[in-house]
Parts: sequence; C-alpha cells; structure tokens
Amino acid sequence: MVADADRVRRELEGIVGPRRVSVRPGDLDTYARDMWPRLLLARRAGVAPTMLPTAVVWPETVREVAAIVRMARNLGVPIIPYGGGSGVCGGVVPRFGGITIDTKRMAALRGIRTSDQVVDVEAGLSGERFERELTRRGYTFGNFPSSIYCSTVGGWLATRAAGQLSTKYGKVEDRVAGLTLVTGTGEVVDTDGPRRAIGGPDWTQLVLGSEGTLGIITSARLRLSPAPQLKLFRGFEVPNVAAGVEALRRVLQRGLKPAVVRLYDELDTFVNSFGDHHYDPDAAAWGHTHAPVPLPGEGALPPLPPPPRPTDDDGPLERLLGMVRKTRRGLRGDAFTAVLDRPRLVNRVVGTVAEKIARKGCKLIIGLEGARLRTEVEAALTFAELERAGARDLGEEPGRAWLARRYAVSYKMSPVFRDGAFVDTMEVATSWATLLDLYHSVRAALGKHAVVMAHFSHAYPEGCSIYFTFAAHAPDQAASERLYDQLWKDGLEAATRVGATISHHHGVGMLRAPYMAGEHREAMAILTALKRSFDPDDIMNPGKLGLAARRWEAR
Amino acid sequence: MTVALEAALAAVVGADHVRPIPGQPALAVTPGSPTELADVVRLTADAGAAIVPVGAGFRAARVRGLGERRRVHLSSERLDQVVQLDETSMLCHAQAGLTGAALEKILAPRGLSLGDYPPGILGSSLGGLIGVRTPGKSSARHGFFEEAVAGVSAVLADGRTIHTRVAPRRSTGPDLARALCGSEGTIGYITAAVLRLHRRPEARLLAAYVLPSVDAAIAAAFLALREECAPAGLRIVDATEARLHFPEAGLADGQALVVAATAGPTDLAACDRDLIASAVAAEGGAVADLGLAERWWRRRLGTEPTPEPGPTFQASAGPGQLTAAYHAVRRAVPAARLHVSRFDLDGAVLFATLVDASGDPLVGDALTATVARAEAAATAAGAWLLGARPTALDPYLKALRAELDPRGVMNPGALTEG
Amino acid sequence: MSERFTTPDVARQLDDCTFCPKMCRHACPVSTTTGKESQIPQAKMDRLNKLVHEQEPWRPDTTEALWACTGCRQCTVYCAHDNEPGLVLLAGRAEANKRGAGHPTLAGYGERFRARDQRLAADARERFGAEAFASTGAIGFWPGCDSLDKGTADVAAAQAVFERLGLGPVPLIDAGLACAGYPLLAAGLPDEFRWHAGKVATALRRFQTVVIGCSACRHAIHALYQGEGITVGTNVVSIAEFLATHADKLPTPATKKRVYYHDPCYLARSAGVLEEPRRVLGQVADVREFAWSGVDAECCGGAGLLPKTMPAVADAMARRRLSELAAQGGGTVATACGTCALMLRRNAPDGVEVSDLATAVANLTDTPFTPPAAPADEP
Repeated sequence: MVADADRVRRELEGIVGPRRVSVRPGDLDTYARDMWPRLLLARRAGVAPTMLPTAVVWPETVREVAAIVRMARNLGVPIIPYGGGSGVCGGVVPRFGGITIDTKRMAALRGIRTSDQVVDVEAGLSGERFERELTRRGYTFGNFPSSIYCSTVGGWLATRAAGQLSTKYGKVEDRVAGLTLVTGTGEVVDTDGPRRAIGGPDWTQLVLGSEGTLGIITSARLRLSPAPQLKLFRGFEVPNVAAGVEALRRVLQRGLKPAVVRLYDELDTFVNSFGDHHYDPDAAAWGHTHAPVPLPGEGALPPLPPPPRPTDDDGPLERLLGMVRKTRRGLRGDAFTAVLDRPRLVNRVVGTVAEKIARKGCKLIIGLEGARLRTEVEAALTFAELERAGARDLGEEPGRAWLARRYAVSYKMSPVFRDGAFVDTMEVATSWATLLDLYHSVRAALGKHAVVMAHFSHAYPEGCSIYFTFAAHAPDQAASERLYDQLWKDGLEAATRVGATISHHHGVGMLRAPYMAGEHREAMAILTALKRSFDPDDIMNPGKLGLAARRWEAR
Repeated sequence: MTVALEAALAAVVGADHVRPIPGQPALAVTPGSPTELADVVRLTADAGAAIVPVGAGFRAARVRGLGERRRVHLSSERLDQVVQLDETSMLCHAQAGLTGAALEKILAPRGLSLGDYPPGILGSSLGGLIGVRTPGKSSARHGFFEEAVAGVSAVLADGRTIHTRVAPRRSTGPDLARALCGSEGTIGYITAAVLRLHRRPEARLLAAYVLPSVDAAIAAAFLALREECAPAGLRIVDATEARLHFPEAGLADGQALVVAATAGPTDLAACDRDLIASAVAAEGGAVADLGLAERWWRRRLGTEPTPEPGPTFQASAGPGQLTAAYHAVRRAVPAARLHVSRFDLDGAVLFATLVDASGDPLVGDALTATVARAEAAATAAGAWLLGARPTALDPYLKALRAELDPRGVMNPGALTEG
Repeated sequence: MSERFTTPDVARQLDDCTFCPKMCRHACPVSTTTGKESQIPQAKMDRLNKLVHEQEPWRPDTTEALWACTGCRQCTVYCAHDNEPGLVLLAGRAEANKRGAGHPTLAGYGERFRARDQRLAADARERFGAEAFASTGAIGFWPGCDSLDKGTADVAAAQAVFERLGLGPVPLIDAGLACAGYPLLAAGLPDEFRWHAGKVATALRRFQTVVIGCSACRHAIHALYQGEGITVGTNVVSIAEFLATHADKLPTPATKKRVYYHDPCYLARSAGVLEEPRRVLGQVADVREFAWSGVDAECCGGAGLLPKTMPAVADAMARRRLSELAAQGGGTVATACGTCALMLRRNAPDGVEVSDLATAVANLTDTPFTPPAAPADEP
C-alpha cells in the first residue's frame, strides 16, 4: 500500500527523534478512526479497522511539520492531519495508509495582540482549554461546539466549525485573520494581511474547510471578542414549527443577533422534556469531589466482566428481556431502542401525541450575550419581536436549564450504540423560503427507516440550519451499515433536491464525499484546481472532499 | 484583429455589439445573456486571444503586459436584469452588469437595500464590486461587500459556467465563491450573483462631535466598536479638511470632527448613538451641531455635491497602527485634507485629498512626488496601500490560474506578472 | 455509590467509553501532556474493553495504555455516564498481572515495595529517634512514604506547627511501616494490598486520631480498605483537615505573601477536601488559584505508579502543572500531599518555589523547625 513502513519510521525519527514516532499497533488502531458513527458499527461488531496509518508522529514545531511533509512527498506517502479526532465524517481515516500527524504537541496560545483583539494560537490546542484561557484574560472566541471538550482549534478551521452561539459570533470562518499552513509541497505559508487591501482571492477562505487536503494548518490568528458582560437566556413556546420558523425569521431580519436560537420540533420538544428531570446538580457536584466507595467486602477494585461466551447472539426475546432489565439508566436511548424497529409508526404517533395530548407545541430557546448596554437593548427587542410573532414567554428557567446541560447531547450516543442501535445527526441549511420544504422532505426521507427529530439553529438573516437527529436499528453490522448508507443517501438527496447544502458545519470527510459532485456541480473544477495547486503530488489526505485520488486508487 | 474572430463573435452577440477598438488589437464585445457571454469566452480562448473585463468598476489601466496579443474587452453591461428577488429570504439574484446604484433603485420601493455601503462605490457594476477589492468597499454594519455575496455565477476560461450553491453558510470544503471575489476576472468572469439584502432601517440617527485630537477620535471610535456599536457610517475629519468642508465647526489645529450615523430598530440605533457619545465623552470630546452631520450625510448620499474634490490617496490600517499612520501621512503631506472612515474591528481607511498649500489639486510631477511621499510614510507606519498584495502566495495563485486557464485567457495582465 | 463495583456496571462503563465522543479527553493530564490519542480515557477504556472481550491478546504491548493513568479523576468531572476510568483501569492492571502481561518495570514489585517500606520506616527511626515514635495514643502522625523518603524536613515542620498550636508533641506511628499501600493497588496487586492494609490497620487502630500527610494514603484508608473488608475505626484525617480545625489559632502575619495552592487529586476529587487547606493557608498567606484548580486541579503525575512506569511523562506532567507560574516569572506553591510536594519540587522551573502545607505554615508564621539529620549511611 505504501512505502516500506520501516523506512517511514526511520525517516520520521530522523526528523523528530524516536520518542515522538510510533508504529505500535495500539497507536495505529486508535488513530484509524474519529467519531464517525459508521465506524462504530464495525467497532461494535468487534471488527478491527482495515484502513490504518503507517505511522503516527507528534511534531512540536512548524519546521518539523514541513520536514515531514517534504519527506512524505519524496517517499510518496500520504499525510493525514489529526487534531482531536472528534469529527463525525471520517475525515481522518487513512484511506490509503500514510503518516498521521497529530497536532496536539503544538498547542500553545502564543499571544494576544490587544490593539487588534487577535490571538495567535497553535492548531493542536483543545477547544475547552483555549476558551478557558481566553476567559481568564477577559476575552472569548465565541465558538462553542458541542464537541468543545474534544476538538482542537485546527480541527475547527479545517472543517469550518460552528458553535452554539454562532448566530452572534459567526462560524469560525467569520473570525479568522490569518492562517499558517504547510502546503502539500512542504512549504510554509501565511495567509495573514488586512483583508480589505488585498487584491486577489482571499486565501484564508480558500484554505478554511479544506479538511487537510490542501495542507496542514499549524497555527492561526483568530479574532476575539471581549468576554460578555451580560448573558440573558430565555425559553419560549410556539404552537408549531412553521410559527417558530417565522418568528426566528422576523427576529433575524430586523437586524437582531441573538447568540443562541434553538427551535425544537414537536418530537424533539417532547423527548427533551423527559431528559432534564434526571439532572441533579448536587449529585453531580458530589460525584466530582468524592470517589465512589466500595461496600465492605466488595473488593477495592471493581470486577471486570468475564470474557464473552461462544454463543452470544441473543434472539429478539433475549434482547427485549435485556432491555427490560436495564431500567435504571433512564436515558432517552433506552426509550428509542425499544421502538426503533417501527420508526414510521413512532414518528407519526409520538409526534401526534406530542402535538395533541401533550399540547406542548415547540420549545424555543433564545440567548443573548455581549456588551451590557447593547445586549439589554437587543434582548428587549428580540423578546418583544418573538411575542409579537406569537411565541409564549416561558421565562428564564428553560434558557438556564439548556445552558447548564448544553453539551449533554454528546453523551447520548453511547447508550444507543450500547443497546444495539445507531444514532447520527445531519445538519443541512438553506434560505428561509425553502426551509420548511427542507424540513419536511428530509424528515420524510429519513423517517422511512429511522426515528427522526430536529431542531433549527444557527440562524441568519437569509436562512437557517436544521439539525436532524435520527436513530435506527438493524440486526447486524452489515445490515446496519446498509441502512446507515441508505438513510444518508435519502436524506442528502432530499436536501439537494430542495436546493439546500449538504452540510452546515460538520464537514465532508468520507461520509459526504460521494455527494460533493451534486453539491458543487461545475464549481468542483475550482476545488480540483486548488488541490492541484497546493498539493501537486496528492499526498495531503488523499481521497477526501470528493476529490479523485487516481494515484492511490490504482494501487 | 482577425476577421474570423470578429465574425464569430458577431454571430453570437450580434454585429451591433462587437466593435473594434482603434489603436489596439482589441474588440469591445457586449453580450446580451450569460449564454452568449460563455460562448464569447470560448471563442476568444480558442482564438488564442485574451479576455479583459471592462465596464463600471474596472479600470482600463489594468490592461498591461499584453503586448500585441489580441484581446476582447468584455463588458457585462447588457446583463442588467434582476433574475429573482426573494423577499422572504432577503436575497436578490441579479446579473453582474447591473450597477449597485441601479439595483438600489429597484430595491428601494420595496423597502430593501444592499446595505449601508458608501454610495460612491455603488456606481460600479455588481461584477466590478465583487471582482475588484478595494478598501472602500465596506460598511461598518455589514462588513466587506463580498460578504454580501451568497452565491455567484461565473464563466471559466474553457467557457464552462459555474454556479456556487446559495446557502447561508456551509462546511463543504473551501468557499469556492471566494476564489472569484477580488480576483479581477482572472479565475472566472462573473455573470451573476446572489446578494444578501437588508431592510430599510426603522430609524437613522445622526450626530456630530468635536474632539481634542485625531488620536482621541480614533480611540473613541474603537471604544464604541468594542462595545458592539455597529454604526451605519463613521468618519473622523481632521482640521485641514474640516476647514473646507465644515468651516462653521471652527476646528482649531489638531482638533478633529467626528460625524456618525447609526441605524436599525429605533432603540438599537439610539443605543449605538449613545455608545458613540459616551466614547467621545470619555476621550474628552463634546457634542457639535447636528447640521454638520446632516451635511456629511447628504454629501455621502450624493444629494449635495462635495466641494473641490481632488486626487486622493488611500491607505488602510489596523486599530494598532491607525494613529501612527495618520500622523505619518499628515507629516509627509502637510497641506493635504485627511479623513478616516470605513471603520470596523479590523481597522479603518485613511483618505487624503492631495492639494497644494493654496488648496488647489496637485497635478503632474508634483502629484507623483507627493503620492510617493505619502505611500512611503504610510507603509513605514504599518499601513497597507491600495492594491497591495502579500506576494508570498503568488506561486499558488499562478498555479491555480494555470490549472483553470492553461492558455492564459482570463485577464492575463491582472494581479500577478506573467 | 457501590454501583461502580458490580460486573454489569463495569461492562456498561467500558461500552459507554468505547462509543463516547471522548467528552472528557481535554481533562486528562496524561494525554494532554503527551498529546497521544491512545492515552485519553476513552481510548484506554476502549482498549480494556477489547482485551476483556478477547478481541486482543493480553500482552505487555497491548496492555501498555492501562498504565497511562494516575487515577486523578479529572476525567470524571466531565463524564455524564458516571464512569470511573481510573478505577476500572486498575482492575485491568490486576487482570494483566494475572495473565502474565504486567508492566516490565514492575516485575517483583510486591517485594520491592515491602523492602522500601521497611527501609523508610527504619531510616525514619534513625533520623527522628525512637522517642519521636509511639505505638498508641490519642493522636498519631503518619507522614506517608514520600515524605519519609524525600521530605523529612516537612515532617519536622509539621511537628513544629502541631506544637505551636498546642497539640504537640504528636508522635510518629511506630509500626515498621511507611506507606498505607495504595501503590500496591496501582500496581494491580490487590492481594498484596489487602495483606498490607491489614498490617497498617492494626497499627492505626491503636490511636484515636491519625493525621495523614499523603493524600493517596488517606483515600486508601478511608475508601479502599473497607472494600477489602478492613475497618480501621480510628478518626483518620489529612493534615489539611487537621490543621483546619485549629486554623484560627494560627498567627496572622502583618503582610501576607502570595502563595498558590495546588490541590492534590486524592484530596480534591476523591475525598472532597478542598476548603480546609485553603482555610489553613488563608490564615497565613494570600491564597491564589491556578487556572485549573479545585475540582479542575491538574495532576502532578505522582500517582498511579506513573513515576515508575512512565517516568518522563510523570515529570513532564509536573512541569506542565507549574508552567503557568513559570510563564509569569515565578511564584510560590503550597500543596497538602507528600507525593505532590516531591513531584513538584523535583520539576520546579527556576523561580518557582514548592512547599508542603505544614512547611509553608511554619515558614510564614516564623515557627522554627529543625530538619532531622540524615542517617549514617545515606550518600
């Protein structure tokens, strides 16, 4: 597949020394995947990954990165950048082997230019650590993805990430003053410079979102905002999705910019109303400061489960009994799996139940933050506009509750997979005029084989993003993968048909690569030309972004 | 110019719209539709000639380095239709030959607008506004003009037409539309764009202030911007310029006049105006006659002529360098009239009207020498000049152009040499 | 709370980590220091999950990741699954040992531990003199093995402070033992741990109150002994808790020096001891916080036997912990655990001064103390 692995290792050790290179199976295995749910299907079935890197390397300087890229070019070996490995599209999977460059030893926050409010930061810094350090200094970058605990700044830039407060602060691409990149030729370039004066294409915007296919981003200059002086979060209720969408459109088109807008459809509202009751902040605090204590005689160490017995394939009755036994955890995942085999019924019934019996309508979370005076004025205008649009004010409590549990959704993945089902999310976006069409068509497309719920967030004056969560079940790995692929095909084709984009902020990776031609059509010519300009030998994360990888496919 | 090419082009666009240009191996061609335009590009490329975009917004001076190579001066002026106006989404799909001003006239009766861009730039065609980037094409409230671009259609060197998908934001790889913005037709000839619109603001408030110094005025501006003030317009006028344009303000040497416009929902516009007022007060300034701001706004809209225009010099600088840049240029050209505007959190633009000691516009060698002095001073102080470009990425630009345009058809004389 | 100690729950924890989008990873001090993805809590648990399911053989190279943890529990602060990776990984270590796939540097560790324990106890007797020891009484002092090894000055300072507070002299506990046994558990030797714990418990029962200088010892005695069926009965408190009950008797200096407090993980996140050391220190100093402190305190690298299995990483963790102070030109740190004091002192950059809590109190209140002389045969 690639050049002699031993040669690669020796060359890498020549650049960074022996301690920061690994060819150990344990490392190669770990770096073979990110959080793409499709990869978890194989993992769950006990199938080892087949696409592994040849070696993993941890450079500490941009000079080392450049040397590694030049060496890889000479040897004819792919390069795959790896930050937090929290992507959900398989962007870091080494399709053709190669050298995985882990950026996490380049994680310094180098400095803040206070006159420009710009921070110079290395790509491998964890999002949460970055934001906390900024808070200490009185700033915020304003990007709070639900993966902030597990993603890196470099990953954000490579995928054009968005955070929960993007309606105010923008997506990351709206806040980049410049990047440092090692291109596919091994050259180090900066895209800095005052945008307004520069003739020619905005290189920063052409590198952002390239997911490692044009080069590896090693550091960036990012625009900061002062840490917010005031935060106002509130909950509203609207009778249905259409009314909620209209309310949001009116707010955004009045020129108001709330930081957070989240409109949950009927099913999402209904299901969400179960979750919050289980959260006990006191119990959480105790658990953080006190380790669990065994009962006398239980043993100081917990017992490991025994190895699996030879026949482990439970029939449906066994599975059902197993689920009945798992009564304690109370997470929504269990509710899902019990009914996942009848998704259309669920979508219809539960949605109807929510609408008619629960009469809950749709929940709308709104949050504003920023400079004190202006935020107060903007908040008053926003809340008044919502009420004029027919939204009912539920007060601060739902807003604060959302804020306290803002990253909770990421923990829901495990129970669903544990119970034999799978869950994934699809975030698409379009203009207001086609938004409801988008909602209904994608929901119908996914709803054939999965339970679907959705919320609208990341709003703009001209449109909005919709975030679909869908869960389904199939009897084994092969069937699960087939169902998974079918769901994505149906969903994305529905989105493209109404003119929407196939991804608002998760990126392309391997998941959406087959749909890039439909997304960009003739404009792919520009992407291909960019690729050839920055990476003439196609060593930078080959076979991603829907780009052809002829050099590698032939092998 | 070969007869064959002229005939072929006339067959596509009609003989009325192909005209030889005297004294140059050039034809002026004005297609009537995007399809015609694509055909023109293809025919030009096949004939080994070059495409030079011309029209409102493109300077003829950009035609350089072509020698005797045949060229087609391609104008989009007949592509002047609004294809679709989506009032629900506040998006407008318009052809590239429409000028900004003409589009504003179409939008105004519907209470819509491109936004608070300086009206002076809107004389350009949309293609020129998007294809050529200059410091002036920005607004404090809405950012750079190209940020209004939600989608773009363009013809590539091989005659293919591309359309970038319209979506508020995406994560589908690099933003391919940005390859066209600012690239002056070298990547593709823009034929249409989908632009983000704004509602006419509910309120527009004006205010004028006098501050003890330009430094204080600049500090006040960024103080307000950091409090999230989003003015529709903000200008700092130094004493030399104020003496001509705002004589009744009675500015002493060294003082500065600040005129500001805020817009939006009434409470928000008032809040923004108050933020500027507080910032001004914090920097030792005082309220001045509202009439000064009203005059500025009328001149900005073009309803009142600006007295004695002259040759101008522009330089842009970040917040940390702006004050130094102002003083450097002030020292280098003592007689010039200076103002600072186009504020955003990235900085602002310094404008100098180059006149002599008696206030007459400079010409000829005196002008050239003065411009050179001003440029040197601005650059030394950390400012950026019009049309400057970080050349470090030029090899990649050349490679990109070579990939898309191996025959070097698309505006070959622009941006990079060769 | 004992739910964590059942087989179904451990199976659930392993699966929850396997399928989790690594929500805790930013808070793991080991992987944040090394940058290695295979050392994040999720990857370590996933590896153990594969081993338990026999999808991978138990070998030293496949079980490597099980040792890359100090049990600091910072990951649990960000876990909504109520998982305890640190504990479960220890069970993994025990299993690895049983299957002959233990860590290469820990061959014969049980023997080495016992030998060191006896040597430290004997050295302490020589340094402090037999009269400093007692085998019974109202109150006894158990400094912990790292203090007896490299921090005997801190022991002397503690005793001076006890005297100053009118509590002293507080005898050292005479049992021929120095350590409460936590390292045996960290080595994956639960049987040796139980046997050793029995001996320690016997010695401690002869006192009404025992003051402990090591955070891992305190946790072991409070929480882990009872799991092995060993009850102590004595009131066992950390030195921080003990001094806190008498903090108001401490004299307050005219000007308070700025001192940063480093939370030992086994106090802050295992025993809930956060406020007491700050109360003590606050009496005599202007207490400052690290950027990551309290429940978010970052581990010094001294636990989990990391200094034996991955010494370079352990030292790098201590350096990283102090880098914040180094970046601002230096500072003074006080901590309330003998192991933390040892690790931080050993890796302190220029300008950063590290002190044990009792020693800091002694110095800041001008309480004189005499570090004991070295034993005759020490180099």
